[in-house]
Amino acid sequence: MRKLVFIPAWNEEKSIEAVIADAREHVPGADVMVVDDGSTDQTAELARRAGALVASLPFNQGVGAAHQTAYIYALRHRYDICGQLDGDGQHPASEVARLIAEVEAGADLAVGSRFAGNVNPNIPEYRSTFARRTGQRLFSLLVSTSTRQTFTDTTSGMRALSERAMRLFADRYSSEFAEVESLQQAVRAGLVVKEVPVHMLAREHGNSFITPLTSAYYIFKTLIVLLIGQLRPRQVGE
Amino acid sequence: MSHSLALLVAATEPVVRLTPQARILAAILAIAFMLLILDLIRRDKLLERYSIVWFLLGIAMLLGAIFPILLEWLAKAMGVRDVTIALFSVTLLILLALSLNFSVIASRQSKQITRLAQQSAIDGVEGEQPPENESD
Repeated sequence: MRKLVFIPAWNEEKSIEAVIADAREHVPGADVMVVDDGSTDQTAELARRAGALVASLPFNQGVGAAHQTAYIYALRHRYDICGQLDGDGQHPASEVARLIAEVEAGADLAVGSRFAGNVNPNIPEYRSTFARRTGQRLFSLLVSTSTRQTFTDTTSGMRALSERAMRLFADRYSSEFAEVESLQQAVRAGLVVKEVPVHMLAREHGNSFITPLTSAYYIFKTLIVLLIGQLRPRQVGE
Repeated sequence: MSHSLALLVAATEPVVRLTPQARILAAILAIAFMLLILDLIRRDKLLERYSIVWFLLGIAMLLGAIFPILLEWLAKAMGVRDVTIALFSVTLLILLALSLNFSVIASRQSKQITRLAQQSAIDGVEGEQPPENESD
């Protein structure tokens, strides 16, 4: 099984080297790639120096386009499985390794969930703002209802994918609502989607793109996207 | 009953028409508008394929100003007695359709730009790489 671990990163120069090292250590035998989403800082430079493959988007395209870049790359270079973790250091690579194991065991899409249960009492529990948790609960409820499968962390970007899942997302992948919509898309296409309880860490540097100010608007847009997703013709997962 | 019937009949005959003054102004504006479109094409600011629809609108505006009977037919067909209301409604609908069309074009181009950016990112990956998938 050929494995690719990729890290979507937008201006993550402070954390990118540590994340690459973490991925190397915990996912042995996998190639590590950084998808640099139009960073204006040293992210790409540092990643290259750290020995990672680097795909640089010429300008910032949003996290969905960055994920999709990696899927297209992985398919073209015959990877069987790919794992993904954020470039800000929130996602321990050891947890991604567990997601990859789930895909090796037959899942098409394994999603790490912060809220599915505490798996390691030694690591402090992930914290989030009230507004963000409310939004996440709402997304969980909607995605769970539409897919008839329980999801507790729909915005999680810690995932592992089979070739079948990569093919589905290389074809069509929302650029703005990637994480949430892709779950609905995958289940509707008949893929085996599995949510796995994982630990995530608090952000060390920078801020998430979902700030309290924009979260209401983000929630509203996502609701519309999910509603439309429900009405779309089903894609066929080969 | 007969009263409302009389109203219905009345509605088929336009009573409010454009004044000659308004028609002259509309004709001048239509001609200026078409000249502006021509100039934009000439200076490479507007692609021909996007200009045709605007040009047609300019011609329609000019025809409406020169032959008021066209607008009266339009009002009659819509069942309104006021020519200006017919004109406003139709204009509004056309503009709505046009702006929707532009949103569709913008979405398509945005998708194309993303694909180009992704392709360029993938082509630019350096370092030790596994072989390309030949069947793809």
